[in-house]
Amino acid sequence: MNMNVSTTNPVISGASAEKSPIVSLVNVSKTYIRGKLVALTDVSFDIGHGEFVVILGPSGAGKSTMLRCINRLAEPTSGQIFLRGNEITSTPRSLRKARQEIGMVFQQFNLVTRLSVIMNVLSGRLSYRSTWRSLFYSFTREDRAIALECLEMVALGHKAFQRADTLSGGEQQRVAIARALAQRPKLILADEPVASLDPKIARQVLDYLKDVSQRLGISVVCNLHQIDFAREYAERIIGLSQGRLIFDGPPSALTDDILNQIYGSRMESAVG
Amino acid sequence: MRRLISPAAAQPRLSLGGRAKFLFYMAGGATFLAWSANALELSGGELFHSLPVIGRYIVRMIPPDWTALDGLWGPTLDTICIALWGTVIASAIGFPLGILAAKNLNGSRVLRSSALAILNVLRSISELIWAIFFVSAVGLGPFPGALALGVNFGGILGRLYAEAIENVDPKPLEALRATGASRVQTILFAVLPQVLPQIVSYNLYWFEVGVRSATVLGMIGAGGIGFELVTTIRLYDFRQTSAILLVILGLVTLIDQASALLRGSIVK
Amino acid sequence: MASHYDIAVDQGLVREAAWRHRRMAIRMLVMAGFAIVLWLSATRIHLSLTNIILGVPNMADFFGRMVPPDFSNLMSLVAPTVETVQIAAWGTVIAVIASAPLALLAAQNTAPHPSIYFVTRLFLNLLRSINELIYALLLVSAVGLGPFPGVLAIALHATGMLAKFVAEEIEHVNRGPVEALQAAGAGRIQIILFGIMPQVLPAVVGYILYRFDVSIRSATVLGLVGAGGLGFTLITSMKMFKYHETATCILVIILLIWAADAISSHMQKKLL
Repeated sequence: MNMNVSTTNPVISGASAEKSPIVSLVNVSKTYIRGKLVALTDVSFDIGHGEFVVILGPSGAGKSTMLRCINRLAEPTSGQIFLRGNEITSTPRSLRKARQEIGMVFQQFNLVTRLSVIMNVLSGRLSYRSTWRSLFYSFTREDRAIALECLEMVALGHKAFQRADTLSGGEQQRVAIARALAQRPKLILADEPVASLDPKIARQVLDYLKDVSQRLGISVVCNLHQIDFAREYAERIIGLSQGRLIFDGPPSALTDDILNQIYGSRMESAVG
Repeated sequence: MRRLISPAAAQPRLSLGGRAKFLFYMAGGATFLAWSANALELSGGELFHSLPVIGRYIVRMIPPDWTALDGLWGPTLDTICIALWGTVIASAIGFPLGILAAKNLNGSRVLRSSALAILNVLRSISELIWAIFFVSAVGLGPFPGALALGVNFGGILGRLYAEAIENVDPKPLEALRATGASRVQTILFAVLPQVLPQIVSYNLYWFEVGVRSATVLGMIGAGGIGFELVTTIRLYDFRQTSAILLVILGLVTLIDQASALLRGSIVK
Repeated sequence: MASHYDIAVDQGLVREAAWRHRRMAIRMLVMAGFAIVLWLSATRIHLSLTNIILGVPNMADFFGRMVPPDFSNLMSLVAPTVETVQIAAWGTVIAVIASAPLALLAAQNTAPHPSIYFVTRLFLNLLRSINELIYALLLVSAVGLGPFPGVLAIALHATGMLAKFVAEEIEHVNRGPVEALQAAGAGRIQIILFGIMPQVLPAVVGYILYRFDVSIRSATVLGLVGAGGLGFTLITSMKMFKYHETATCILVIILLIWAADAISSHMQKKLL
């Protein structure tokens, strides 16, 4: 069943309608503690193929929650999410299939530090392998070729056999990107991927992310709180403030006025 | 007004209520001890009077009679084997139960509580009582000893494993779930690599403890040096007793050192 | 797949295979060695699955004789239970008192002379390596039946364990406060009291609680050789073939240890 729902947004509509969208959020809301804590209210947007979208907003705006709703690490309280036209539900099979196509990069890299770099990247292939095979920590030759290729894409092939914790922060994040790429995803979710890195390294990592997105045609939804990074890398910016979507458009349309709306008094936290 | 604080005084001070509680506990403890001493007929006097008796016994144990070592090689080896297989069996029992009992792996409360309950029963019953049970089941010898150790330590190790699993860094687990990996795959790739060094460390430590426990299992016929030791005591052959005790000392020290070395080489 | 990386990937696959095979070889060797040791010891102690299965009817018989447990004389078990706790308590107290000076002598940084350190460590090793039950056996032979030898047995073993632990804590103490006190002209004892003791106290108290817990477990079996407590009740009921009472005894022991555990870990948590 192919349900294609597209909604228009309060501020400016993004230019992503040539093909059917990769991901659609329709009226997604999330509350905690039986409604007392509101994280998201009525968020709707579409992401097209190969788009590099930055979600901008101060901490606590709901960016992380929203991202996690997409791959069901968090359950939306209401609303629907569609991946390539199919709704993502919580049944194990649907979930596994959806997550296979969605790669995720975390703020703290979330690697298994005791394992080698290549094992970490290979673990991105697990959804393609049966549990029985995994009991022996075994992967196919194809898996290993893909893993090595993904490492080459982030220029870390030469460190493949080192323990993950011997790498620097920026390198570990690149390994995390390689792990996401190994899934052969259609979409990569990046939750504050550079918040723990210093600006120069952060730019390196974002460069890799953008490069990979453009070359492989992978859509990227990237949470950032740094305005200048957003301006530099985004093709489209979605502004979130207190759980509401209040901006959706190209970086050029991001006026100071809108920034004030998004950040309110917390502008300082958003610079760099 | 500035006070010069000594470096050692940089510890948190108890509030007035906390101090009162502390004193209350101390008083309660002291009362209990005084009452116990009375009930157990412990007293400085009793201790004093028994010292010469004990002293005489110690004298009877010196110098050690090394002839006791004849034929001790077998039982000593048995003791080590009992401890070895005891630890292996304990690991095999503790591992699945530990996984079931871990809060972050298992959503079902019923399963967790049952696993924990089983582990508690296993560890609460002393290995000696288990040994009596297994001797009645499979006969005398080192085999029931290993089983007894395995079952008792299984309970202990299982709980330790569960704790180690619960203390694992949850972030890689989340990342792996997000890639679409199944629950088992997540355990294999995110949990196991993190807990393995600790599990090995626990196993080595309890093997050590196992050797010491195995030395007494012989008392009830469950193999090992214990039997020889008890025989010398029953025959009042105390010089042989001390010889065997020294052998046990040597054995335990050796294994202690080896175990500490191995544990040290497991880089965290 | 970009052809850009094919060469690197091919080389990588070769290196990966070599790395993996090397690791596997080492692991296989270690496991094989371990397996041989296990097999040899299995034959030595006559490990046999068949014998376990054959023994099941015996186990069933054992259980059958014990179930249902005889609760009629539950009240008579209160006294032995209390006695067990008392034995463990006094054994631990004596161990604490004896360990204080011994630990200081067994720590390299507080021992007056290296030879004292070595002798003390040796002595403590001797105390530790002998099981409480052996002590109990010897002491019962020396001073007669009853709880007194039990208390001493526990005290002797616990002293060995506790003193060694405290000695190691003392050795790992932070030198800073100690040097500061030395510089201030404090005497030896003052340095120990104000520089070393406060640092090791939390860990030591936690270990004392742990040892008390372990002592209760040991105290329950000391009765097997006549040193008082629940163990004595247990072995008596077994010798009189009153297996239903044995079962009750075992249940009470389980309860006691469970309670002691709960209290011990509760107090340890409160300390942290």
